[in-house]
Amino acid sequence: MMNFLKEILSFLSFSEPNVKVVFWGSLVLCGISGLVGTFTLLRKRSLIGDVISHSVLPGIALAFILGKQKNLIYLIIGATITGWISTYLVDYITRNSKIKNDTAIALILSVFFGTGVLLLTHIQHSGNASQSGLDQFIFGRASAMNMTDVWLFAGAGIIIIISTAILFRGYTLISFDEGYARAIGFPVEWLKLILSITTVITVAMGVQAVGVVLMSALLITPSAAARFWTNNIRVLTILAVVFSAFSGVFGSAISYTYQGMPTGPWIVVVVSLIAFISALTGSKTGLLKSLLLRRSNNRKILKENTIKIFYPLSLQGTPEKYYSLEELSVASDTPVKILSKGLSVLKNDHLIEGNSSLGFRVTAEGRRESRAIVRKHRLWELYISRFMNLQPDHVHDDAEGIEHVITPEIEKELEEELNFPLLDPHEKEIPYDQL
Amino acid sequence: MEAQDSSIETHDLTVIYNKKPAIWNIDFLLPKGKIIGIMGPNGSGKSTLLKAIMGITEPNIGYSKIFNKPLDEVRDRVSYVPQRQSVDWDFPASVYDVVAMGRFAKLGLLKRLTEEDKHIIKDSLEKVKMAPFANRQISQLSGGQQQRVFLARAIAQRADLYLMDEPFVGVDASTEEAIINLLKSLRDEGKTLVVVHHDLHTAQHYFEWLVMMNTRLVASGPAEEVFNEQVLTDTYGGTLTTLSKVANLLQEKSFPMRHK
Repeated sequence: MMNFLKEILSFLSFSEPNVKVVFWGSLVLCGISGLVGTFTLLRKRSLIGDVISHSVLPGIALAFILGKQKNLIYLIIGATITGWISTYLVDYITRNSKIKNDTAIALILSVFFGTGVLLLTHIQHSGNASQSGLDQFIFGRASAMNMTDVWLFAGAGIIIIISTAILFRGYTLISFDEGYARAIGFPVEWLKLILSITTVITVAMGVQAVGVVLMSALLITPSAAARFWTNNIRVLTILAVVFSAFSGVFGSAISYTYQGMPTGPWIVVVVSLIAFISALTGSKTGLLKSLLLRRSNNRKILKENTIKIFYPLSLQGTPEKYYSLEELSVASDTPVKILSKGLSVLKNDHLIEGNSSLGFRVTAEGRRESRAIVRKHRLWELYISRFMNLQPDHVHDDAEGIEHVITPEIEKELEEELNFPLLDPHEKEIPYDQL
Repeated sequence: MEAQDSSIETHDLTVIYNKKPAIWNIDFLLPKGKIIGIMGPNGSGKSTLLKAIMGITEPNIGYSKIFNKPLDEVRDRVSYVPQRQSVDWDFPASVYDVVAMGRFAKLGLLKRLTEEDKHIIKDSLEKVKMAPFANRQISQLSGGQQQRVFLARAIAQRADLYLMDEPFVGVDASTEEAIINLLKSLRDEGKTLVVVHHDLHTAQHYFEWLVMMNTRLVASGPAEEVFNEQVLTDTYGGTLTTLSKVANLLQEKSFPMRHK
């Protein structure tokens, strides 16, 4: 593990000259795919992203055959053209035939990818000396870039970032409500065209680092991960860029350190890990959050149920009296184990004082708390007996649960709606703090 | 009614979906300053009609005019409320963000929201009683609240003509009442409201003018004249047999509807 970290650190220190190229190359390529991918996700076109990325392969191969050399610009142009044709065909088939969208996607993806692999095999058998390394486009190899490539990517990246920033409002509106965008006169067809060209170019460049097979994961996963953290589309976009750029750099660092490993799978492993962690801990829908919430709810229920035990006791006995654990257990019909857990919570919150040998008694604050929970319980019993037409002997169980949810505001509403009642449906007094 | 006094004029408006007319030769003049209902059974082309008028769906034959002008010349005077279910309410946006979209009609793609725009957005939220929810995520809204947000967005456009697609579907009674009161107060300001609706019980009470359709136009006129047994039977009592036979023939044999 230490060794691994050391290797990664030595990568990030740019000790080897080629490392700089890999670093900036992956940063730019992955960063813009996170940016563009946000709208692919929001427009529910994730599968189209997959079609494009697989369909750039025949374009790369054809560009190589026609250009007779590995010139990056030719390759990107070739990739963009076939990628573009593939999305156009999917939309065309969906619109103009009985074939549904998912079928059209599967059809076009396999035809284009198959053709790509065929052409690639042909090139490899042709004995062309410079063909070596074309297969890197299948799984990506960031280390195959040179500084000129990176400058090209950076230039294209800046254009994509600026155009996306300018058209952000338009992209947002066509993603949310295309019909409305049309109705208010936005140039919807143009926006869709520019967005889809941007997506195709992003994919065509990104396959250098990630490869055609996994490129769509890099398009979709960062924004899917970011979705767990925010409901604001601007924050979402920025987070997606940060996630994907980080995965790009980290993934290529790993693959660079262990020579010969393709870059794409590592980048995708890192970004998937981020997505997984986001699903667990994300602030919006995170599982961890709901786990913590459940814990804090359980604590509140335990606390309120335990303090409630003291209410009838403080009515009969002298308030100063200490009650032993056993007395409390009998009085409340609660197992000692649960009771002592509840008592320690109460003591922690200074609602009771004492200890297991001396016994326990409520503090002034504790008395107020016990009255409050009983009050909520009885108010609720009265409320549902009146508004749900329930018999008095049917209201207790419901109130046992609801009493813990009622906030001071709701309590006030209940009091007002019931006109400050004195007795609950069982003719028991509703304890107010001051009357 | 003369064309220059009309809010909407459609002329032989026809939209073909999948080689079959979804609306066929819809031809009417609608008045200004009224609450107008468009009614017909499911699949009778009510939404398609609105979309064709708004230029969202390109009509195959015919045209429509708004305030006696082509749509593009008066687009800023027209506001459209799509069906609530037509969008994904899980989209990352707040209530305020959605209502702000209403101002984009004026601002276009680039211009920023001014103080006045922000004031209009707040005012629109207040009109539908959603001001306390301005920062709420749209995914957390009830059906009725979603509909109010869509209405607020339309009001924020400050238009003269409002086209609403089924605003009363799936909303609670209090929202329904709030919406109809809102429509009436907009009407009192001289605005024209065109509402796709399908509840026959409330139709007479809500609308001053009714358009009854079932792919074809059955009737268009003041509510008390149009809302009678004969028209209702014509609208809801099944399609015209010969007409639908012809429509099916067009589809089966791929005949063009018009040829030159």
